[in-house]
Amino acid sequence: MITPRIGVFVCNCGTNIGGTVDVPQVVEYAKNLPYVAHAESNLYTCSEEGISSIKHGIKEYDLNRVVVASCTPRTHQPLFRNACADAGLNPYLFEFVNIREHCSWIHRQNPGEATEKAKELVKMGVAKARWLDAQEEFKSEVYPTAMIIGGGVAGMSAALNLANQGFEVHLVEKEPELGGRLLKLNRIFPINQDPSELVGNIVKSVEGHSKIRLHMPAVVKSASGYIGNFDISVDEGGKEVSFKVGVIIVATGAQVLKPELYRYGELANVLTQLDLEQRLKDGELEEFKNVVMINCVGARIPERPYCSRVCCMTAIKNAALMKEINPQAKVYVLYRDLMTYGVEFEEYYREVKEAGVRFIRYTPSNLPQVMGAERVESVRIYDELMDMELELPCDLLVLATPLIANDDNEELSKMLKVPIGDGGFFLEAHIKLRPVEFPMDGIYVSGSCRWPADIRESIAQGYAAASEAVIPLRQGLVKVEAITATVDPKICKGCGTCVLVCPFDAIELKESEIRGLEGKIVSEVNTALCKGCGLCAAACPNGAIQQRGFTDTQLISMVNALSGKR
Amino acid sequence: MKLQDTKEVQTEFKPKILAFCCNWCAYAGADLAGVSRFQMPTDVRVIRVMCSGRVPPELIIRALANGLDGVMILGCHPGECHYSEGNYLTRRRSHVLKRLLMYIGIEPERFQLRWVSAAEAAKFTAVVKEITDKITALGPNRWVDKR
Amino acid sequence: MAKKSVLVIGGGIAGIQSSLDLANMGFQVYLVEKTPSIGGRMSQLDKTFPTNDCSMCILAPKMIEASRHPNIRLLTYSEVEEVAGDSGKFKVKIRKKARFVDEEKCTGCGTCMQKCPYKTDSEFEAGLAKRKAAYIPFPQAVPNVATIDPDICIYIKSEGKKCGACMKFCDAGAIDFSQQDRIIEVEVGSIILATGFDLFDPSVLEEYGYGKIKNVITAMQYERMISASGPTGGQLQRPSDGKTPKKLAFIQCVGSRDTHYKLYCSSVCCMHATKEAILANEHYPDLEAFIFYTDMRAVGKRFQEYIARAEQQYKVTYIRSRPSKVTEDQDTGNPILWYEETTSRTRTSMEVDMVVLCQAMIPSGSIKDISCMMHLSLNDYQFVHIPDRLFHPVDTEIPGLFACGFCQAPQDIPDSVVQASAAAARAAEFVSKDE
Repeated sequence: MITPRIGVFVCNCGTNIGGTVDVPQVVEYAKNLPYVAHAESNLYTCSEEGISSIKHGIKEYDLNRVVVASCTPRTHQPLFRNACADAGLNPYLFEFVNIREHCSWIHRQNPGEATEKAKELVKMGVAKARWLDAQEEFKSEVYPTAMIIGGGVAGMSAALNLANQGFEVHLVEKEPELGGRLLKLNRIFPINQDPSELVGNIVKSVEGHSKIRLHMPAVVKSASGYIGNFDISVDEGGKEVSFKVGVIIVATGAQVLKPELYRYGELANVLTQLDLEQRLKDGELEEFKNVVMINCVGARIPERPYCSRVCCMTAIKNAALMKEINPQAKVYVLYRDLMTYGVEFEEYYREVKEAGVRFIRYTPSNLPQVMGAERVESVRIYDELMDMELELPCDLLVLATPLIANDDNEELSKMLKVPIGDGGFFLEAHIKLRPVEFPMDGIYVSGSCRWPADIRESIAQGYAAASEAVIPLRQGLVKVEAITATVDPKICKGCGTCVLVCPFDAIELKESEIRGLEGKIVSEVNTALCKGCGLCAAACPNGAIQQRGFTDTQLISMVNALSGKR
Repeated sequence: MKLQDTKEVQTEFKPKILAFCCNWCAYAGADLAGVSRFQMPTDVRVIRVMCSGRVPPELIIRALANGLDGVMILGCHPGECHYSEGNYLTRRRSHVLKRLLMYIGIEPERFQLRWVSAAEAAKFTAVVKEITDKITALGPNRWVDKR
Repeated sequence: MAKKSVLVIGGGIAGIQSSLDLANMGFQVYLVEKTPSIGGRMSQLDKTFPTNDCSMCILAPKMIEASRHPNIRLLTYSEVEEVAGDSGKFKVKIRKKARFVDEEKCTGCGTCMQKCPYKTDSEFEAGLAKRKAAYIPFPQAVPNVATIDPDICIYIKSEGKKCGACMKFCDAGAIDFSQQDRIIEVEVGSIILATGFDLFDPSVLEEYGYGKIKNVITAMQYERMISASGPTGGQLQRPSDGKTPKKLAFIQCVGSRDTHYKLYCSSVCCMHATKEAILANEHYPDLEAFIFYTDMRAVGKRFQEYIARAEQQYKVTYIRSRPSKVTEDQDTGNPILWYEETTSRTRTSMEVDMVVLCQAMIPSGSIKDISCMMHLSLNDYQFVHIPDRLFHPVDTEIPGLFACGFCQAPQDIPDSVVQASAAAARAAEFVSKDE
């Protein structure tokens, strides 16, 4: 191993550090530390002058390691790493010591102690730097194709967006036609239009697009690999079709709950909102005079605590439609909370009220009761706002039920190794800031398969997923910061602890192919998936797996530098 | 299992305390404390790791066995780990580690685990003050001299 | 270069998300923000629902990434002044206002802030605290450089005759009173609007006493109060006497769903009030909170469970009512709410220690100027008009111009982030059309 020649650059940061810490003293101290070939101070190491000093120092003093003692790596590490790279030094042979946020700024009344602390921190940084190794960032090529599972509006929007940017898209749809749940709807809110033509236009674009390869009807049979390199196998009408893709978007939608409440299935004139849409579409709705709609049927209950977001508007839309069809009809909507959020929905709600639809609020402690023998004849409800027990005559009872996860979500989740969350819906990487990404790189999610969403939200999510997915496609390369885990197969005992502990499924036990170790079961890290957390390194019983940049040797050297070695 | 006499405190004793801080939460919280100029005792030295789950228990034992007076791990609040589960591992290991420290005769209070988020500059400061006081009260780590 | 550049107007979470997506795709992005720092409303929040994640903790890494990204040119303290040209070749003039601080030299040490003798109300702290004429709006500001407010800086107003303390004490020599506004001209292929929201001023609802009754505050002021890095260090101290409240009331729909003011629903207040009530109880386990609501709009993932937790674990009571007025007990300063509880039809009053008004959110004022500049339609409430709201949710009527986030519809953070990415996808598609 080449003798380490460490350069230490101590920053004054104007007076931010220099005003409390005796920087010259720290520089002198650093000069006497093991393997330090050069030490100097700068007024502002991050300035052009400071960066030049580093580059100059590397060449002049033949440095092969650099330590900068200044502010925080969380803002300035890339700057100094780049400076090293520019001077021909591997950027991972650089170590950062924080003597500003963690020292001069918090010990202003104790300059003497702050100086001693700064010295010790530099000693620790130098100790670690001695054990740093040059690292290469892992780069993997990205196959310039995408697979989108689900041909509803979310999936189709994503497909068109990616295809229009020049990428090949495999669109896999399990039904024999595109359009998803929208095909079943009679009218969509809040524009009150028949969706067939609008959806039809999108379908035409998709079917006619030269870059979209449609697999329909087809289901995904297997998926393996990692971002940039997924191997997919699809069952297309009995035939097996295989292809490679760089990214995957899941847009498989949801289904509508068929309830076991309010005598649905028992009485003929009890429908779900979806049933109603079908009947209207097919022109098969019987005449009615008294419509009662009940919201939150099978939702916001202990077994299913969530609100399905789209049902209030669906009910209100259909209630208005009932009034349109028969202006003399009495239409009631029984609700718990009215989820008409935003601008258009709130406006729509007001207009529907003005059109004569009556809204009655009920609570879970006072559920409506369905009365009738062969058919629903009336609905009893306690109107708490009026303190009255009402019996509403009813010849058509429509239940708003929630969207629930598709039955094949679980199977798909196992196949793609993506997580399922509340209610069986897919679980995104971060509910606030990464709503359309899965925790595993290269796989994205959009639409109601993640959470009930209306058309506008589903399509926005489709585009958003396309936006995230196109990034690796456009970059053509996946680069990973070189702080990932590596295994020494000579030491590895194949116990599999690291495999269990890794939150990202980035480690696998495999038969080694290394000369002299053939057949030995050892761990192997998939660097493309490794996020550099280091949990494996801490769990390994014999130090076979290490995290680059945070190896046991490096951490121990810092501890020993502080405590003195025993 | 004879624990050290904690009444023996030198008036000039300044402890040496190591703090492992995770990059995403605790280290950022410490940075914010610095930016906010919160003043605190000078006895803590920070080592940055990407996740609190990186810190192996053996390293804590080594630090204490070498004579450091206190060691702490500061990580993200449970549920907020950047790597989703790392801090759960840290928490589990800490329970076992405290028992082990007791078993070999090191005061378990010399090892502390705390959760500090990136915005909790005040909490970081409070933790540093609290643990510095605690370790100072325990006195110097004499475990090495007993061996 | 026109084809490969995109302009993003607004540096809140939506603008940042769009910018990062486009920059990562390989496009050149100009991110224009009118205040001295990016971050927007999310930087003012303490925690975000329903996870109670610390807001700044999840925002700051994105802010830093935006500032460091080689493909993003950050133009803070800047405003778009003119947009000309056709879609696909927008010629934009951006006014970079003079900060009187050299951004290259300033290290963000804050000495000028300490030494500056002149103060005004801090916009960031929602009026609960002051800031100096030379200021950095908040500790995690990006870029982390000072700005000097010409409206209150005495050196500027006296034309160099008085003060100048910042110049004397700045070690980096970064103060530059000779700085002028600069006009930067760029040509871009697409523009994304992400100008966010302002807060409705509830003092027009005189019945609630905001501005007259000391202990009636707005939700944004509450957020700053409960924030660990806010003016009271996260302590709830009511304005009249600094006492910690034991009973807190939240009034929903202040200005929203109101025929006199805004008819629309601001969509996020039910959830943020619940969050604020939970945080209050977390800080003070004896504190009880009462939320006066009409419909509890908890439609997102885990939102219903969040409400349930508030009721079961955090002493939050939901009362279905819109209070008719708030009066004040002159001796104690306690606000008193007068209301009818609709579910029991009882008319009653409740004395509390502090009232929080969940005010409506309105599209940011800057959208009006932009709409004039670009002949862009706004609806009656000044939200950006989206012609095909369902099937092209982020497309405006002008090809190549997209709008995301609150400037086009009331929505929470996840929905804004989704729309921001969607706008980036559409912009990328638009700009690569002729490739």
